[in-house]
Amino acid sequence: MIAPAIAPQGRRWGTINLGGALLTALTLICACVWFFPIYWALVTSFRTDDESIKSFSLLPEHPTLDSYLYIIAHSKLPIFYLNSTIVSLAVTAITLVMSICAAYAISQLEFPGRRLLWWTILASFMIPVPALIVNHFIIIASVNLINTYAGIVLPLLIAPVTVIVYKQFFDSLPREFREAAVMDGANEFQLLFRVFLPMNWGITAALGIITFIGAWNNFLWPFLAAQDETMMTVTVGIRAVQDTFGVAYARLLAGAVLAGLPVSLAYLLFQRRVTQALTLSAGIKG
Amino acid sequence: MLKNSATERLAAVALVAPFVIIYCWMFVYPTVRMAQLSLTDAPLIGAGHWTGLDNYRRLFSDKVFWTAVWNTSYFVLLTVVPGTAAALGIALMVSRLSGWLQSLILTMFFLPYVLPVTVVYLIWQWLGNVQFGVLQFIVVPFVGHPVNMWRTIPWFMPWVALITIWWTNGFSILLFLAGLRNIPSEIYEAAVLDGATRRQIFTRVTWPLIWPVTVLCLTIQLILQLKIFDQVYLFALGGRTAATMVLVQYIYEQAFQRNAGGYAATIAVALFVIVVGFSVLQYQVLRMRGAR
Amino acid sequence: MTEEAAKNGVERAPHVELRRVTKRYGVVAAINDLDLAVEKGSFTALLGPSGCGKSTLLRMIAGLERITAGQCFINGVDVTEMPPAKRRIAMVFQSYALYPHMTVKQNIAFSLSVAGAPRKTQDERALEVARVLQLEPYLDRRPAELSGGQRQRVAIGRALVRQPEAFLFDEPLSNLDAKLRVQMRLELARLHAALGVTMIYVTHDQTEAMTLADKIVVLDRGRVAQVGSPLELYRQPANKFVAGFIGSPSMNFISVSLATVEGNTATVKLPGGGTAQVGVGSAPAGAAERIDLGVRPEHLLLVDANDASAAQSGRISIVEHLGNVTLLYVDTAAGQMIVEAPGSTPVKSGDVVGLRLNESNVRLFGADGATL
Repeated sequence: MIAPAIAPQGRRWGTINLGGALLTALTLICACVWFFPIYWALVTSFRTDDESIKSFSLLPEHPTLDSYLYIIAHSKLPIFYLNSTIVSLAVTAITLVMSICAAYAISQLEFPGRRLLWWTILASFMIPVPALIVNHFIIIASVNLINTYAGIVLPLLIAPVTVIVYKQFFDSLPREFREAAVMDGANEFQLLFRVFLPMNWGITAALGIITFIGAWNNFLWPFLAAQDETMMTVTVGIRAVQDTFGVAYARLLAGAVLAGLPVSLAYLLFQRRVTQALTLSAGIKG
Repeated sequence: MLKNSATERLAAVALVAPFVIIYCWMFVYPTVRMAQLSLTDAPLIGAGHWTGLDNYRRLFSDKVFWTAVWNTSYFVLLTVVPGTAAALGIALMVSRLSGWLQSLILTMFFLPYVLPVTVVYLIWQWLGNVQFGVLQFIVVPFVGHPVNMWRTIPWFMPWVALITIWWTNGFSILLFLAGLRNIPSEIYEAAVLDGATRRQIFTRVTWPLIWPVTVLCLTIQLILQLKIFDQVYLFALGGRTAATMVLVQYIYEQAFQRNAGGYAATIAVALFVIVVGFSVLQYQVLRMRGAR
Repeated sequence: MTEEAAKNGVERAPHVELRRVTKRYGVVAAINDLDLAVEKGSFTALLGPSGCGKSTLLRMIAGLERITAGQCFINGVDVTEMPPAKRRIAMVFQSYALYPHMTVKQNIAFSLSVAGAPRKTQDERALEVARVLQLEPYLDRRPAELSGGQRQRVAIGRALVRQPEAFLFDEPLSNLDAKLRVQMRLELARLHAALGVTMIYVTHDQTEAMTLADKIVVLDRGRVAQVGSPLELYRQPANKFVAGFIGSPSMNFISVSLATVEGNTATVKLPGGGTAQVGVGSAPAGAAERIDLGVRPEHLLLVDANDASAAQSGRISIVEHLGNVTLLYVDTAAGQMIVEAPGSTPVKSGDVVGLRLNESNVRLFGADGATL
């Protein structure tokens, strides 16, 4: 039970706390207003193009999947989906593995440059990544990776937060686990993958999902790196779709819904993990 | 612990290598190059000539640059404090609830955060559509006629700011919820017993105790919004982009549309300095206020 | 052969041996020039208060701490620079360090699986060990589902499966409640009797050491205070530290002054008048030296307060009835003294009594703490 920020002192009417009930009602109304844009987009996507212009009813009068089917069949959306999936999965997998290994080494092992590396990672928060897009472009272009999956994935692999969270996690494990495993004869890799990492799959799940969502939603870099439509991710491509569909609003919004669907589902299904990951990363920034 | 230093170092290097390689290649090197590039007149691809601080001199007298600075500051003003206040208000409302109702309400507030910017753009563009958008129902009674939000300059920034708040508030709400959760309920009970009114409880108990979270939230939001690009770019497409240009947008324009790599890097360095300067300053100021 | 081995009259070389071992943290020496020998198959306890260095010593034998100076030998082989895994030693940690995400079977078999043993071997050996420790019904459970005693057995099982040269125990019973502790003590004793493996056991609890060990090494701030069997340490403490540490309730110490020494008998003056005659091994340095007289609670006899043979007299402040014995806290001129009297003694708080010394069971300790 969350501690109420506002002590319920309302007048009592029968057994109902009037002030409290009003506040709850107000909260509900605010939430509905807040959610309305998404709701309206959903509603519009189920209308026919005609109806979308003419009608302002809260529910579609003749709900139809036409717009969805059209956009799947007649636009490059499926390709965008494919690209997004490949890019996001690649970014997530590579980032996680890299970060886990690096964090483990920084946390548990002695090696030259360890402290320097750690301080560099901590300091990297100050640098705004969007300011680096010019150089990213130059570098990726210089190795001829513009307009390729590798080219899109590479700059998205920068994730100091992931390393920091894992390092703190590894630091928090009691020393005795490491000692016991070392006495049992385990080497570093066995220690990492069979003892340390499995102790908390939750963190991995949380960071994995948040990395996936971040990669899926990234706009600026994929926008620059994909020169033609066949390489665009869905976040970038959906805007190009707008040029094609212009005033076919129902279709446009169907596209938008489809574009936002995977990450929304990821959130709805894994709410706890997403919340956990965000709270962890906020702890780092503080 | 007794260990074989050589094998340990080898294992460490093997584990750290992939990360360090990517990190240096994609982060450290570009940062250094950015500084370097700003001292040349290079185009986007290819080498240029050393020009020393010329770019910086040009920057200081560049009207577009200062417009971008102003626009970015204006945007920050419109989003950081109102956004944080809104997040706090929402968090207060949500924290009163429990169980499935709380989950539902929280989802309704949070969902925008996970959406890609282009989806947010399409949703709101439809909402504010000058002919068919639902928002016009609210606008027309006040102004008298439908307004094209993204093409009418005075309306542009406030609307984009509002949309940004709508989009990014989820994170701040989470922070505040966590902060509120950390306040033990006994403190509230003690305050009620001491006869405090609801408002007093908020100003004398809740507010001071979540001050650290507030600072954190403001700082994160500030740094985030200084780097704004996506929404502003999208909503300004096809219109007069110069008037509402923000800093990152200027970098983009100089680099990719004017092919002025060196100058773009200069703007990037300026942005970097602003971000660092602002965040350090704000943190100190807020910290001081908190310590009083 | 070390002095220790000679003293114990053991002919063969010790199983585990530390020679002139020093452990320094910066400038502070936690352990200084220490010798230790553990016989094969023995149960040796390292006993001492916290901070005495017993855990450090154990960890140096295990290889978890680096030895600053000196050498460690296992089975005659110099292992000072050898990493822990190679020493063929197994350790049971204070908190057991069971891997929470693995089942009991996986925990036990971990060292085998890490070494790449085939699944069949892992299963067989794990089952064997589980049988010895009566863990069969729990093989598929996770540590979180087990009781404290069961967890300890799993920790022992994990060590057992490696068939080590020696078992090291780092205060394994300190996380258990009192009753469980007694039970596990018996199990450990049974285990040692059944397996006959060398066990080195660190504890701060002298009862544990006394009941379990063949040999106790008492440590005081990084140095060996005394080595011996439990009864030896009890009856013939080499110094005041050991005398005060071993035995519960602990020995009473009275400040006395030396009157005369004749041959092997010293006459001392007790506070509040009165004298006592105590057998000594060595002569004290001089009359000015501060001497303590030590007498165990059970070697004080209750007599009438006016009895001439009473060494001390005073008022009883606290009476503790334990049933089989009664502990009396008596305020005397020499300070508070604890007396252990038979359970049926009819005294109460406030009574004034006299205490007579059982002079053949009294010791004198010099200013440096050594027994005279």
